[in-house]
Amino acid sequence: MPVKMGIFLCNCGGSLKNIDFPKVRENLEDLEDVAFVDISHNLCLEEGEKAITSRTLTENINRVVIAACSPEFCERNFARLLEKLRLNPNLLSLANIREQCSWAHEGDVTRKALELIMMAVDKARLLQPVERKEVAVNKEALVVGGGFCGMKSSLELSQLGIRPTLVEREPTLGGKLKELEGFYGSQREAMIKAVEKEENIEILTSAEVIGVEGKIGDFRVRIRRETKEILRTFGAIVFATGYKTEITAGDFPLKLGINIISQKRLAQMLQAPTLEASPETIGFIFDLSDENSRFPTLATLNNALAVKQRWGSEVYVFCKNVKVDSEGVEKLYREAREKGVMFLKFDENPKISADDGRVRIDAGDTLLGEEIALTCDLVVAEEKLLPAEGTEGLSSVLKIRTDSQGFYQEENVHLYPVSSERKGIFFVGNCRGDLDLGRVLADISSVVAIVHELLSPGKIMVEVERVKADPQKCVACLTCIRACPHRAIQLVQIDNEKVVAEISQLACDKCGICAAICPAKAIKFEGYSDDQILAQIEAIGVS
Amino acid sequence: MEIVVIGGGIAGITSALELANSGFTVHLIEKEARIGGQAASFCCKATEVCSKCSACLLPQRLSEIASYPQISILTNSTVVGVNGKLGNFQVEVCQKPQYISPKKCIACGMCIEVCPTMPKAIQPPPPEAVPYSYSIGESQCLYLKREECNLCREICPTHAIIFGQKPQRQKLNNVGAIIVATGFDVFNAREIGCLGYGRYPNVLTGFDLERIFRNQGSLKLSSNAKEPKKVAFIQCVGSRDENHGYCSQVCCKYAMRLARLITYQNPDAEVTIFYIDLQTAGKGFAQFYKEYQESIRFIRGVPIEISEAPSDEVEVKFENIAEGRVERENFDLVTLSVGIAPRKDSWELAKVLGINLEDDGFFDIKGPLNTTETNVDGVFLAGACQSPKDIPDSIAHGISAAERAMEVLQRCQ
Repeated sequence: MPVKMGIFLCNCGGSLKNIDFPKVRENLEDLEDVAFVDISHNLCLEEGEKAITSRTLTENINRVVIAACSPEFCERNFARLLEKLRLNPNLLSLANIREQCSWAHEGDVTRKALELIMMAVDKARLLQPVERKEVAVNKEALVVGGGFCGMKSSLELSQLGIRPTLVEREPTLGGKLKELEGFYGSQREAMIKAVEKEENIEILTSAEVIGVEGKIGDFRVRIRRETKEILRTFGAIVFATGYKTEITAGDFPLKLGINIISQKRLAQMLQAPTLEASPETIGFIFDLSDENSRFPTLATLNNALAVKQRWGSEVYVFCKNVKVDSEGVEKLYREAREKGVMFLKFDENPKISADDGRVRIDAGDTLLGEEIALTCDLVVAEEKLLPAEGTEGLSSVLKIRTDSQGFYQEENVHLYPVSSERKGIFFVGNCRGDLDLGRVLADISSVVAIVHELLSPGKIMVEVERVKADPQKCVACLTCIRACPHRAIQLVQIDNEKVVAEISQLACDKCGICAAICPAKAIKFEGYSDDQILAQIEAIGVS
Repeated sequence: MEIVVIGGGIAGITSALELANSGFTVHLIEKEARIGGQAASFCCKATEVCSKCSACLLPQRLSEIASYPQISILTNSTVVGVNGKLGNFQVEVCQKPQYISPKKCIACGMCIEVCPTMPKAIQPPPPEAVPYSYSIGESQCLYLKREECNLCREICPTHAIIFGQKPQRQKLNNVGAIIVATGFDVFNAREIGCLGYGRYPNVLTGFDLERIFRNQGSLKLSSNAKEPKKVAFIQCVGSRDENHGYCSQVCCKYAMRLARLITYQNPDAEVTIFYIDLQTAGKGFAQFYKEYQESIRFIRGVPIEISEAPSDEVEVKFENIAEGRVERENFDLVTLSVGIAPRKDSWELAKVLGINLEDDGFFDIKGPLNTTETNVDGVFLAGACQSPKDIPDSIAHGISAAERAMEVLQRCQ
């Protein structure tokens, strides 16, 4: 079909006085392919919409050029209007003659306005429609990890009508809840019961994810359950694989044993019905290796308070900075100090040595400005929160990067915290970092909301060919596959012979990296293709 | 089913978008003339690398919400009455006169040209404002003061200017749930008189610095128009004191990011941060701290007094703990890292909705495993009105609140 273009000029209520609109129109009218040039006062309001509608329909144009204000304000509305008029929204080309022209300069800017419009016109000639279609998605979700996060995510998903499958590698559900006492421990039984009772949740224990292929709406997941391998498909995958704690050996020169123990061991001792002799002096230490210590702070405060209550021991906490930047922790810190827990803040790591069956800590206290030597019956060592066993393996199966500490997904401010580079794959809770309860809960309901929004309609609208690789030009060099952060490109065989790159429109995030990087210029990003950009550059100075 | 979101900051916007994407009609009620909230005044703190301050997340969402058909934005509006219960609330909203209709204003700027007052009574919106429309200041406008001038109304090509309006009340019926996302007040540093804020021009707050960098791109002192060489940040102003039993969670991070920006723009600048406990945890930030801690001088302890010194400097009196004595040092600029305080007017809304406030004055939650639900079924919390939160945490909490609302509504249907 030959190009037939309609050009709408908007003078913004007559305020763009330094552009001579009749002259612009004169210059544009005689151009090839241009059916008409209209001048309007305010295209963004209802009357403008009516004008565009009637002219587009009566003239039967197939390209729309609008010269008006910044696309930031008007693009979405105009694209929506085109859609209403049964014109593909990609056939719209905009020129910003207000912010980038009239307002930016003093004096007459008619020439510049004309150039900007010429650029839009020359681009519009080359625009191709980008069709959209609905793709059916699998409405089931996979939740990996049967701890607190995984169970709560599954429960909330099923309440919203999504059928989750919960995979846990241990024979029983519960994860770290099995080791925790107090508040979390008290949630354990009730949660496991609730999950088991919920008919919508399928539970696969002693099972592990060993392969993930495909894309959002259609992930093909290989699960190994005991000796059998199961292949299942899911629309989205939520990873809640949790954490482990570890005393980093380098931090403690003394061997762990009777006098130097972990927080976990201390919690067990506190739970024990009787203790032959309760320790008189207890020291807690954290912040030795780095200061990412929300988790140790919280564990120390809770356990220090429990020690005070249970044993009445003298408690000293050695750290650099108390991490109070989570909800309620400042209050806990105050309570601990009121109950007599002493906080000593060091700059340089304390020296820890054996002292006649006890442990001696030598530290400089920045508040007293003095060196302190303290001999403790028991020292509770810093425990780092690290990603659970197997995180590394799983991240390479998923082809998703980890951060410097090994947690899933490097920080990216432009993603929702739970989203990953691969559409349809999510990470919640402590498998993506050291989070406190409030943040874990926010993670869980975020992921539930996003998965529900994605899967519940049963279909996703995708652009059919926004980005495409030309099989004639593609030499299967793999450059694009390596560069694509969203794992949207794979090799396919066509006509039983040639192997070429194919871009999944579902997984593609329209970032354009592949189109820019392709050495054979085989990948075209419609709307930003080489010829469209060159046409715009060439239009400058022509008028 | 309709949902009312009270507050058009980052948390409220996120909740509204989330709910609209799931098919709900959303009324976003904003007290001010524009949505965006506090985050709209924050600056990008990137140097040659992004500092991951998340300030850029707001404009993205603003442009998304501006043209969203299922979200109606009511600016200049407050909730004055609520009846009913979960699944069927009636919400009464009062809208202050707007004088310029955001639906009709095309931001052409003709009104500002003819406005005869100095400074102009009509103000243009900031570039990314939603709604993008001009506004009239009541105190300067001649018509609103004495009914003498009518120039702007005559010239407006779209007849967007309407005088003689009264506050309008309207009732939203069939509201399934209400999400409260009213945000926070920046702590008023004048409350701590000895720190000299408001008295000395070179004592600013972190929020002032955000605005200066946002509007001017670089930091110049108001007294001599030069870039400051010696800059101090004082942490925990309005946090972790006898009146504020909580950590504001954002100040250490913004102070360090701003410190890096200052030393990047002016490599001669020396930055000192006075602190109680540095909050350096969090994904990505621990790494940031490791990389930049060498370039900043950290002093433990918060100064007790700030006074004027010769040649526009300010003198900071602080305790040198290591040496065990009180010292004085002069700085070109002292920045008070003011914290997040509960909104002063939150009790009014709490009364209207029947929800509780906790000890510090933030809205109270139902229980430890439920940080978005309140004591009233169908009323949810999102963002910093529940407890201090940074931008990413507010976004996560905003989605959370939307999800809880959807789930509860689904259950009661």
